[in-house]
Amino acid sequence: MASRQLATLYRELQRVFDARPTDLKKCGALLDQLKIGLIQTGLLIPTAEANLQDLVVARDILEIGTICSIRAKDVPSFDRFFSQLQTFYTDFRSVLPPSKREFPVRGLNLIRLLTQNRIADFHTTLESLPLPADEISVNPYIAHPVNLERWLMEGSYSKVWNAREEAPAPEYKFFVDSLMGTIRNEIASCEESAYERLPLKDAATLLFFTSQSDLLKFAQERGWQVDLTAGLIKFARKNDEQTEIPKQKLIAANLVYARELEQIV
Amino acid sequence: MSTSPTASKDKKVEEKDKKGDKTDASKKVEEKPVPPTPTAEIKSNIALIERAVGDLEPRFTHRVLRSLTALRKRLDNKIIRDAIEENYPSDSAVKTSLLSWLPAAPPADQSMDVDAAAQPNGPVASTPSPKPTSDPVPEVEIYFRLLLIHHLHASKDNYAKSVELSKETVDKIQQLNRRSMDPIAAKIWFALERSYELGGELADARPMLLAAQRTAALRHDDDTQASLINRLLRSYLHYNLYDQADKLVSKTTFPASASNPQLARYHYYLGRIKAVQLNYSAAHTNLQQAIRRAPPAKVAPGFYQAVHKLFVVVELLMGDIPDRSTFRHPVLQKALQAYFDIVKAVRTGSLSEFQATLNKHASQLEADKMYTLIVRLRQNVIKTGIRRLSLSYSRISLRDICLKLHLDSEEDAEYIVGKAIRDGVIEGRIVHEKGWMECEGRKNGYGPEVSEVFGRRIGYCLELHNQSVKAMRFPLNAHRKELAAAEGAREREKELAKEIQEGDLDDEGLGDF
Repeated sequence: MASRQLATLYRELQRVFDARPTDLKKCGALLDQLKIGLIQTGLLIPTAEANLQDLVVARDILEIGTICSIRAKDVPSFDRFFSQLQTFYTDFRSVLPPSKREFPVRGLNLIRLLTQNRIADFHTTLESLPLPADEISVNPYIAHPVNLERWLMEGSYSKVWNAREEAPAPEYKFFVDSLMGTIRNEIASCEESAYERLPLKDAATLLFFTSQSDLLKFAQERGWQVDLTAGLIKFARKNDEQTEIPKQKLIAANLVYARELEQIV
Repeated sequence: MSTSPTASKDKKVEEKDKKGDKTDASKKVEEKPVPPTPTAEIKSNIALIERAVGDLEPRFTHRVLRSLTALRKRLDNKIIRDAIEENYPSDSAVKTSLLSWLPAAPPADQSMDVDAAAQPNGPVASTPSPKPTSDPVPEVEIYFRLLLIHHLHASKDNYAKSVELSKETVDKIQQLNRRSMDPIAAKIWFALERSYELGGELADARPMLLAAQRTAALRHDDDTQASLINRLLRSYLHYNLYDQADKLVSKTTFPASASNPQLARYHYYLGRIKAVQLNYSAAHTNLQQAIRRAPPAKVAPGFYQAVHKLFVVVELLMGDIPDRSTFRHPVLQKALQAYFDIVKAVRTGSLSEFQATLNKHASQLEADKMYTLIVRLRQNVIKTGIRRLSLSYSRISLRDICLKLHLDSEEDAEYIVGKAIRDGVIEGRIVHEKGWMECEGRKNGYGPEVSEVFGRRIGYCLELHNQSVKAMRFPLNAHRKELAAAEGAREREKELAKEIQEGDLDDEGLGDF
């Protein structure tokens, strides 16, 4: 190894990372030092002639980095670590021994894309996974986000809610919370258009609220009319007002047709 | 096809035209009954290339390259050797370097005599050609190399050799840096990629392709650039690197003058990227373009099938049901059987049937790289199912929906119906207390959305018209001919008028007699 200092730092990081509970601050500080070390030894963006053992160590450091960033709830930092890992996962795939943290990390990335509602990116990433399609449903780390996405798209929100506890790794929980916020908003927008009125009690179950005060607060945020005496939420009907003819648009379209026709004749 | 652009005088053009047509026609007549020997064909191709280089007219080179596929199948060691021997002077350095790629002729010393003896017997090469005294243009050498590479592809043992040869050839092209090389270079890059792929190391070619793409873009080698962009996209998609492929597309401009096959491929790759990114309507337009630009189904059945497979899936994902006639097409019928089954399942809106079909054809879909796309159809199946229910019932309990669509729980059914209402799939209402869904018939068939759809369709037709106008090709200087004809007609009219005048006079004169 290029520097002995890097090796001691790496051992230190492993020790701190494996200790429970993990001292995230210390991990962060060690990672910062290690990253500088990696840059100095030219391992952060490795070239083909790098030593195999060194590459494995570098990959390990970056993987720990991704997991630490999730634990510290620092998504941009996770993003950076993950994109640095890409080189190790794709370009050096055939040379390096497989890492046991690879799929958890990839799964975390998928969940992140899902919570940020970047569905297109989610699918592109999914396509580029080095897995045959039938293994996607077998690998627990990947199957979890894939199922979540499918249920979200179908509208089986209760399944998403129930799957919240089945996360394959503790780090997944961090994203699951923000996912629940997204789901609630989705359900709320569905309810607005699908129901005329809804009893408070049922609304609470549909939105997965346990206490009525939470529900009332949420209803206020969405601007719903709550009738406390009858125990009902009323949803305003929106789509009866739009009878106006979009003149501007029609005129513009007709002008385009005229111009095109003129070109043809 | 055979107008000569260099001729300056109108009459000459016409004359040459006729001549060209005649030779063309006679050639065709010749070709049909007795196809020329490959050696003779190579020879005439070389003449065409030289003419193309001399006249700065890439059309002739294109014509040579069009015959490549047919010619490729008939090549063997002897034919290529003969052709090389025939077209290069005996002491040429290029010749020896070209010949070094072929295994030594079995009776090495006799081969020359045999050739000489065999040649006059050939059906077309009846005119004994004098041995050339100087090397032909470098394009010819590259053309020979192209033939060699294709020939090496034919057998497995030569894959490593073909990689080596194509690399060397590419270096050579870049050193020469000739504009007239462009069409042949594009083919060479294709052959290079194929060499690498056959050798099983497609990814290794990527840095070289990227560098070449940059150079080609700077030098405005349109054909090469188009070919290279397609090579790169193919390489990315082969390894499922959709992100990189998308970035490449956004950073490059595909040359508008590229040939139709290249454009068709490009649109196919674009369609694939867009479909993966869930941008189905864009994917749909791209694939439509690809189908329209593709060579006829009988000529390139593989491409035709691949595009249609993707096209069917994208149509399904958009919520449309593909045309039944697509699956009756003779070229497609067999290849698309699995997709036809899927379409049937989606159409009936039955999740269980869909799942069964999916499992049945999983391996084929996997091989086509369609599996993940098809899995996405699940929600479409549900949506179709709900829509059918909403059309046939005015009121249906959530429990029944759940049973009919094979959903897991009533709770799910409620969410799913809610989402369908919000997404505008159906028009209806859920009455939670009673646990049923009420559907209103379609109330307003006419609204702003109708004019939008109408506008979209008109836009499509106009686009189609404009594309076809752009795709038309006109022979160079054709307008001059027309002008000349018009001129001639005017002249004749004048003469006629004069004659009539005189004739009239004559008539009158006669009448007087």
